[in-house]
Amino acid sequence: MRTYILRRLLQIVPTILMITFVVFVMMRSVPGDPVVALLGDAYTEEDAVKVRAEYGLNKPIVVQYAIWLGKLVQGDWGASILSGRPVLQDVLVRLPVTLELIVLSMGVALAIAIPAAIIGALRQNTWADYTATTVAMVGVSIPEFFIGVLLLLVFSIGLGGLLPSSGWVYLPGTCPSMVCGVSLWGNMQHVLMPAIALGVGRAAILTRLLRASMLEVIRTEYVTTARAKGLSERPVVFKHALKNALIPTVTVMGLQVGFLIGAAIVVETLFAMPGLGTFGIDAIIARDYQQVQGFALITAFAFVVINLLVDLTYTFLDPRIRYS
Amino acid sequence: MADDSESLQTKARAISGGSLGEAELQAAPGVAWPAKVARSEAPLVQGLRRLRRSTTALVGAAIVVVLIVVAIFADALAPRSPIASDQTHTFERPSWDYPLGTDQLGRDMLSRVIHGSRISLVVGVSSVLLALFVGVPFGMIAGYYGGRVDTVIMRAMDLILAFPIFLLAILLMVIFAPTAGLIGAIKVTGAIAIVRIPIYARLVRGSVLSIKEKEYIEACRALGVRDPWILLRHILPNCWAPIIVTTTLGIATSIIVEATLSFLGLGTQPPTPSWGWDLKANVSFIQANAWLSMFPGLAIFVTVLGFNLFGDGLRDALDPRLK
Repeated sequence: MRTYILRRLLQIVPTILMITFVVFVMMRSVPGDPVVALLGDAYTEEDAVKVRAEYGLNKPIVVQYAIWLGKLVQGDWGASILSGRPVLQDVLVRLPVTLELIVLSMGVALAIAIPAAIIGALRQNTWADYTATTVAMVGVSIPEFFIGVLLLLVFSIGLGGLLPSSGWVYLPGTCPSMVCGVSLWGNMQHVLMPAIALGVGRAAILTRLLRASMLEVIRTEYVTTARAKGLSERPVVFKHALKNALIPTVTVMGLQVGFLIGAAIVVETLFAMPGLGTFGIDAIIARDYQQVQGFALITAFAFVVINLLVDLTYTFLDPRIRYS
Repeated sequence: MADDSESLQTKARAISGGSLGEAELQAAPGVAWPAKVARSEAPLVQGLRRLRRSTTALVGAAIVVVLIVVAIFADALAPRSPIASDQTHTFERPSWDYPLGTDQLGRDMLSRVIHGSRISLVVGVSSVLLALFVGVPFGMIAGYYGGRVDTVIMRAMDLILAFPIFLLAILLMVIFAPTAGLIGAIKVTGAIAIVRIPIYARLVRGSVLSIKEKEYIEACRALGVRDPWILLRHILPNCWAPIIVTTTLGIATSIIVEATLSFLGLGTQPPTPSWGWDLKANVSFIQANAWLSMFPGLAIFVTVLGFNLFGDGLRDALDPRLK
């Protein structure tokens, strides 16, 4: 098992290198460059050449990438071309916001999907099942930002500002500076709507999948045996059926987390949250090469680590799966 | 009835192709081995027959057809121009004159929603078709030839899949530089298509891997049929069912991605009406004019729902094991 984890961790390296290299090349093929934005409209070509040389932007792309990588190995993520702030510092400040959003939205998704799928599967073809599948179909079809807008309409406008429409209050202990709001209650108020907006669509996908695999599992012989030996319905459903039905769901959950990293950009933009998503989109639009690299790196890393965690979860759900 | 089944049988045999006995069957339809012929109906035809009995699929199909009609006849259906502003009628509430109200420039929302269907449908459908025309050949070649060709193609596909879908689409749109009108729509189509190519390549490769081991393919090779012909005439027809399902459901996803890109300001640019852009532009006025964001959002939802319902019905019909 240990060698397996080690081998998988080593495989992460080429994937991350590939992703960061592709992003590196892509960003440098974007029309316009950050130096122009940095110098403003009244710049001379002479100044631009000087600044480009200063940031090493006049070197061939492969050399630039090698320099970036060399510094990265030493823990230096570079500094923003536009603001001059260290990229790693910005990423670390914004990471907890996005992490909290993604974890909570996955929690929302599971809190909806597991009961809905169990009810749907155990009472197949009843009104409860039809309701669960219809709601799931509706959930799959609404884009995250529209759910966000609907939530804003109900909770921020309709119910007289019950929940704040934008901004952020940090969890105690995560405040990056002296001037931010810190409170658990305030944080919950701010994160609730974005987490629901992001989680509902995932809930719908997971419900459909989990219902289908539950239907398959409850018809297997070992579930019949469990019932025949006199077990009550609760352990049959939760211990025998659900645990096995969760295996394909966990795979999809891993993929969904990958999707959430991208979708967080949209939800964070709508709710004006200071997370990695808004950091990434702002950096991409401003063509701040160093920031974009930092964003790509952390995204790629999260993506591959989550896939590894998914594989490791299998051994818990199905002890027959043993990696060696 | 008899005629019906006969035409279906003939169609089925044309697809199954390859064996010498087939020629004999065609010579004496329904007489030589009637029972066997009835069972040999192509899965695609059986599926379409099942599809007609699925209420949800029919509802989905109806929504899609209505949307297509709206998009085609947008000019005739829209009461006003979607881009002409009227400063004397800004932020009108929904009324008889303006059924969905007007926005901050006094533009008629109903006309914008009607015209917005064009971008959504055109980009949604064409990006998926483009991905299909590129991804399917890649998948077929990778699966059929295997070895190094397979490794090169599939690693390239894995690289695309390694990106979160929105991130890659956003990066591509920044490179393409979003613009208005047809060119803008083509750029968005290209970005979404690139993201979706690996889905087809993987899907088709998987099918080809199993089909190429079948005896009739071996027979084709033994007869000296050339590879491109085997791929097009004998392997591709057997991959159609999953391709069709993926395409229908893929259109729904592509419409959401297009709306999301527009919402982020990276889709088709104004003045071209786009639901995602309209939703974003009107969120700022949500406090006093809630309806403005509602209608473009509802339009996206209904469209995506239509394709999802139809695609789901298709999947149940074409692959009953998944039901």
